[in-house]
Amino acid sequence: MRTQSLAKIAVVGMVGVLALTACSNSKKSGSGLGGGASSSGATSGGTYTIAFEGPLSGDNQQLGINEVNAAELAVNQANAKGDLGFTLKLLKADDVGDPSKAPAAAAQVLQDNTVMGVIGPSFSGATKAVGNTYGDAGLAVITPSASNGTLQTLGFKTFHRIIPNDNVEGTQGADWLARKGLKKVFVVDDQSDYGKGVADAVQSELKAKGVTVTRSSVDAKTTDYGAAAQSVKSSGAGALFYGGYDAQAALFAKALKAVSYTGITAGGNGVKSSVFTKGAGDAGNGWYFTCGCLDATIATNAKQFTADYTKAYNTPPSTYSPEAFDATNALIQAIKDAKSKGSVTKASVLAAVNAVDYQGITTEVKFGADGEPAGATTVSLYTQKAGQIVSVGLLKDQS
Amino acid sequence: MTDFLNYLILGLTRGSMYALIALGYTLVYGVLQLINFAHSEVFMSGAFGSYIIIHAVVGDGKSLPWFGVPLVFILGLGSGALTGAVIAWSLERVAYRPLRRRGAPKLAFLISAIGMSFFLSQLAGKLFNRFTNNQFPTYFQQNRRVLSIAGADVSVIQLTLIVTAVLMMLFLDRLVSGTKLGRSIRGVAEDAPTAALMGINIDKTISRTFIIGGALGGAAGFLFGTAFTFSNIMGFLPGVKAFAAAVLGGIGNIRGAMIGGLLLGVVENLVPTAPWNGHAWIGIGWTDVVAFVVLVLVLVVRPSGILGERLGRAA
Amino acid sequence: MKTGFFSSPHVKRLAGCMALAFVLALMIGNQEGSQDDYGLAFRQAIFSPRIILFIAIGLLVFAAMTFWPYITPYLLRPGVRPLAVGGITVLVSQTLLKWSDDGRTGNGKFNSVASKAANTDGLAPMAKLFFSNYLGWILLLVTFGLGAAAILLSLRALAWVAAVLGVVGGIWAYTSQAAVRDFLGTPDHSTGGGVALIGYLTLAAAALATALATGDIADTRAFVNRLLAWRPGMPLVVLGLIVGVIAFVQATWFSPQGSNQTLTDTKNFFQGNGLANLAYQYLAWLGYVLFIATLLTAAAASYLRHKILGWVAAGLGTVALLLSLITMYDMTDLAAAAGVDGATGPWQNLGSGAWMACAAFFVLAGAGLVVATLGGRDEQDESAPAEAPAARSSDTLSRGFSAPGSSKVFLFVILATALFYPPTATGFWQKVLVSEIGIYVLLAIGLNVVVGWAGLLDLGFIAFYAIGSYTTAYLTGALPYKPPSFLHLSPLLAIPFAIAICLLAGVALGAPTLRLRGDYLAIVTLGFGEIIRITANNNPGNITNGPKGAFGIPHPRIELGPIKFVWGQNNLQYWYLLLVLIVIVVLLFRRLEASRLGRAWAAIREDEVAAQATGINTTRVKLLAFAIGASTSGVAGVFFASQIGYINPENFVLNNSILVVAYVVFGGMGSLPGAMAGAAVLTWLPEFLKDQVPAEDRQMWIGAVVLLMMIFRPAGLIPAKRRAAELRGLNRSSSAEVGAVPEGEGMGARA
Repeated sequence: MRTQSLAKIAVVGMVGVLALTACSNSKKSGSGLGGGASSSGATSGGTYTIAFEGPLSGDNQQLGINEVNAAELAVNQANAKGDLGFTLKLLKADDVGDPSKAPAAAAQVLQDNTVMGVIGPSFSGATKAVGNTYGDAGLAVITPSASNGTLQTLGFKTFHRIIPNDNVEGTQGADWLARKGLKKVFVVDDQSDYGKGVADAVQSELKAKGVTVTRSSVDAKTTDYGAAAQSVKSSGAGALFYGGYDAQAALFAKALKAVSYTGITAGGNGVKSSVFTKGAGDAGNGWYFTCGCLDATIATNAKQFTADYTKAYNTPPSTYSPEAFDATNALIQAIKDAKSKGSVTKASVLAAVNAVDYQGITTEVKFGADGEPAGATTVSLYTQKAGQIVSVGLLKDQS
Repeated sequence: MTDFLNYLILGLTRGSMYALIALGYTLVYGVLQLINFAHSEVFMSGAFGSYIIIHAVVGDGKSLPWFGVPLVFILGLGSGALTGAVIAWSLERVAYRPLRRRGAPKLAFLISAIGMSFFLSQLAGKLFNRFTNNQFPTYFQQNRRVLSIAGADVSVIQLTLIVTAVLMMLFLDRLVSGTKLGRSIRGVAEDAPTAALMGINIDKTISRTFIIGGALGGAAGFLFGTAFTFSNIMGFLPGVKAFAAAVLGGIGNIRGAMIGGLLLGVVENLVPTAPWNGHAWIGIGWTDVVAFVVLVLVLVVRPSGILGERLGRAA
Repeated sequence: MKTGFFSSPHVKRLAGCMALAFVLALMIGNQEGSQDDYGLAFRQAIFSPRIILFIAIGLLVFAAMTFWPYITPYLLRPGVRPLAVGGITVLVSQTLLKWSDDGRTGNGKFNSVASKAANTDGLAPMAKLFFSNYLGWILLLVTFGLGAAAILLSLRALAWVAAVLGVVGGIWAYTSQAAVRDFLGTPDHSTGGGVALIGYLTLAAAALATALATGDIADTRAFVNRLLAWRPGMPLVVLGLIVGVIAFVQATWFSPQGSNQTLTDTKNFFQGNGLANLAYQYLAWLGYVLFIATLLTAAAASYLRHKILGWVAAGLGTVALLLSLITMYDMTDLAAAAGVDGATGPWQNLGSGAWMACAAFFVLAGAGLVVATLGGRDEQDESAPAEAPAARSSDTLSRGFSAPGSSKVFLFVILATALFYPPTATGFWQKVLVSEIGIYVLLAIGLNVVVGWAGLLDLGFIAFYAIGSYTTAYLTGALPYKPPSFLHLSPLLAIPFAIAICLLAGVALGAPTLRLRGDYLAIVTLGFGEIIRITANNNPGNITNGPKGAFGIPHPRIELGPIKFVWGQNNLQYWYLLLVLIVIVVLLFRRLEASRLGRAWAAIREDEVAAQATGINTTRVKLLAFAIGASTSGVAGVFFASQIGYINPENFVLNNSILVVAYVVFGGMGSLPGAMAGAAVLTWLPEFLKDQVPAEDRQMWIGAVVLLMMIFRPAGLIPAKRRAAELRGLNRSSSAEVGAVPEGEGMGARA
């Protein structure tokens, strides 16, 4: 009984649906080949989006947050200046720093038709997973931190990075250590793509120079560096090179101090940051850092960046924040260039990125044909003195 | 020999941390036969809780009078324990008790605890920060040498960690074996329905077990943070290791957790670095592999851990 | 503390609710802590005016809990459940879902689109009206309020009004979104309008239920059952009707850059452009005719329960489906060849309409099939024997719905969705589907064997996935050590090898550890997972390339003489491959569950000693569980490696192992549909949350959802039948603490 009446109602409802959908659609007019209304009355002026892809959640999220905040700051500053002639938006795509999650993040980026360039991916692994995806889409990619030495050789058509790759840094660092006349050097990596890359480069170059190398690795998630420090000390090595990131290096430095290790201690680009100096404190004094970057004291606006960042995010800029800031500003510059030359499309922005020459706070952003930073072969040496990182000079001049 | 002793001391330090955390796993396992996966976040919360208190008291802590150091240390220990206890208690109320009421399958508890663990760790990240390098104010010279055994130095912090951990473990051992609360815990562990018939309030006993385990975990968080660093994701790895330590010693067995923790810490420091001259045969990179292989070997020989299960029933 | 005040249940409950409000205040909002000031985020959350909102929420929850007994009678009235579901659905569509994919509409959500659309000249006036002055919200409130009032006051007239409003509102919402889409003229995949339509129709149904109610107490299940039983296959016919009407009348068929063309537009577009005649005729009239013919045949077959008509409908639907596909291929191929702006190749640029037409034909054919394969009339009246196969299946999905053919109805709906929904989704969701959801569904199916059926807790399952992936990398020559080049395999050919190696690994892990019970086994498997990952990372002898990972694993390809099929960047190709893999595995495992081995697993899960006593070789059976579970994840590994093209040890961290266990338990241990649903939901959720909460907080929300789910539905989304029996009391005494715990107050004790 009841079901029957329900059925009737369903039929009536369906007829209603049919009628209404049919009516609502009758206004529409067909359009010929290539036609189609594409007016954009809903918004005014050009809005272009800069996408950021990096780890915003998961274990490495702080690295991504450091970068995305800096990128956001750059975008906000550019918008606030008001001389762009267009509006910039930032799209945050979280890839968890995981190559398997990166394709989805890249798809999210590519889905937005206003995206003109990508800052990221933060990690080399994620870059390997999506480099071709971005390349096929013709979307310019500038990574602030993926430094693996093979990325430029993998045929990613739109890949750029603003930091020198591991091999350059590691090789010159090893040469420098070898010039010190050391017999034995201890090389430790953090089992990450970056750390292992640098450490491998250092190790092979040292071996080539006839220096004995003891190699060890400590998982980056470890907090207890006691055994590692003790090993360095027991080995009697004249120097330690740590391939890894700043927070871990700070712990390592403290542990080394606890066992009163007296040899030379050095790290790569990933170590040279305020996170290290703050974390290691006194224990960090005397550490050396090899870095293919400009002396931050030259760039006057670096201080301004620190102040702005701190104001916006209640916390000072951290690992790779300045690099991300530079990368974003370089991309903004490229969009501006593209606009001044005509239209802003993915292709024109890519061309502009390839040709960009932007004076950033960490480096002069300029790319070689393979997307490597131009002039990346000049590696400088820095050291920590009384809690501050100071420049020693070009690495190849040091003895 | 000196080097060997150095590694041994490092191992004991790390092991005592593992043991303290493992006690939390083992206590809960004893009464509920459940792995409390969120215990690692209790441990984490202890570090943050004690940091806030210590930072409020000493600021940067550079100019502390000599008698202030132990006071601040005890304050930190206490606040860490308190935070841990509060978090563990809420954990039981939110993630365990409702499921017990519904007679959930055992694995559901595991998953609710995992959910809680994600939640707590990320909430702490949102509230405080997500850096992995937070440090306590330096209110004492951690690396000063206090003891020298056959050329191997023991620093203040190492001695403090080991002594504090051992004291707390002794205290817990007395608590469980000697007091009325301890008897009710053991009663519930042994046979919950019978214990209920004997007039033990099971809900309360379980709650208190969580509180005790949480206090120990929170205190361990403070000690760990003092010795190394702390962060919102600091709990996961020590948590896994401590769980392994608890199983190694015989889960549900308090003394087993202590022995398992110390053993695991020592093994982790001695085996990968052998022969202790800096040129390791195995290498520190294999530490976790060594730890788990030892665990498997022990379990193959003794399927319920070194000391077996005692607090809980052997099924 | 023993004073009456503090032990009063009300005080405790209030405290709990306030704690809830406090935690919510901490969770929601943009406040982020700082290393320099640990109290900052606290103060932002607590000492700002919005805390009042959260306290109000807390008080509301408190009131709801306290007055629950008074509310309950009303909640049992007919229509309440659909009313709530419909209201929430519309609410979700207007708060969480996107109403436009176009970057020009802000974040694309309802409020953002509405604010833009309300000021846009040239938008269809009805749509403009809908988006202006909060009319969308008012409509929802009025419809919901009328429905609620009708239920509370049992006013039939009001209910009719609400029902009409619901239908009108739904259609209005849907067409308004369509108008925006047409106006913007970009390909659009947003779901807001469609979901709002469903929600409003549910509201209408709720109102109808009230209007037609005969009793005071709702019996939704019996009602749905009656609906399903009324005419077998009829739900499918209705579904086909709705989907088909939308497809043929309103939806986009062809959308190269800058246009959304309905079927008639598409016809005009291709008129005289040399489209193959059949395809052109399909666009012009054949499609409509086929649809109506299939629909009528299926409806008649279903109404008359006529088997032969059923077969006819099934055949007609199949033919129509094939014709649709041919047309779709022809027109996209032609468009790309003719250089239409934005047309990129065959199968590209298709709007949702074409795929919806396919879905409609599929569903209608399914309806015909349901009727055609039905037992005789006599059998249906005593439906028990006819339902015996379904009853034996592991899940409780169709348990309540015992109408004949209802499990087939569900199956066809799910299949239609799996086949024809993904092409209409955005590139992002397609990617998520193939690179996360699908793979984890496969993994969860595998782990379900170990955890759900055999009852062995495995916290290192991801290790087998790693082994499968690295095996693929080796066989395709992406690792430092390569097989001789003539042996380089296509990834698909690597599947048997991966299965074999994972089987061996499963046995290798199982053999030494089988003496261990539950939690000891858990930690050992966890250790195994870590050992595999660390070994891959430490790279002894340079076999795995360490953290650099294996790059350049080729895409799958099939080359069998004339048949040549190469997978590339297209997600859909992977999706259909994955679907085939999943279907094969599911079919195999369904057989397995009911087999002797499946029953042996159940036996050792329940009581190992007793199982042994009944002559089950527990060692062999457990090893088989490990090996079979492992081999499934080996398949997943092959698929993953070749799809992403790059693997490194970071993909195989411990967290992923734990997550897979969580998927299985979340979905319902031991139930195949459960494990699949659990994995799908929990891998979908983080990606969905990307649009809802700050990325940094996603894991926090996932944790909260998992926690709530376990509190309120500890047996999982779709509990296994056997397990459900345990929960209901067959095996209650096995966990003695549970029975011994007295009733008391607790935050989760109610609701």
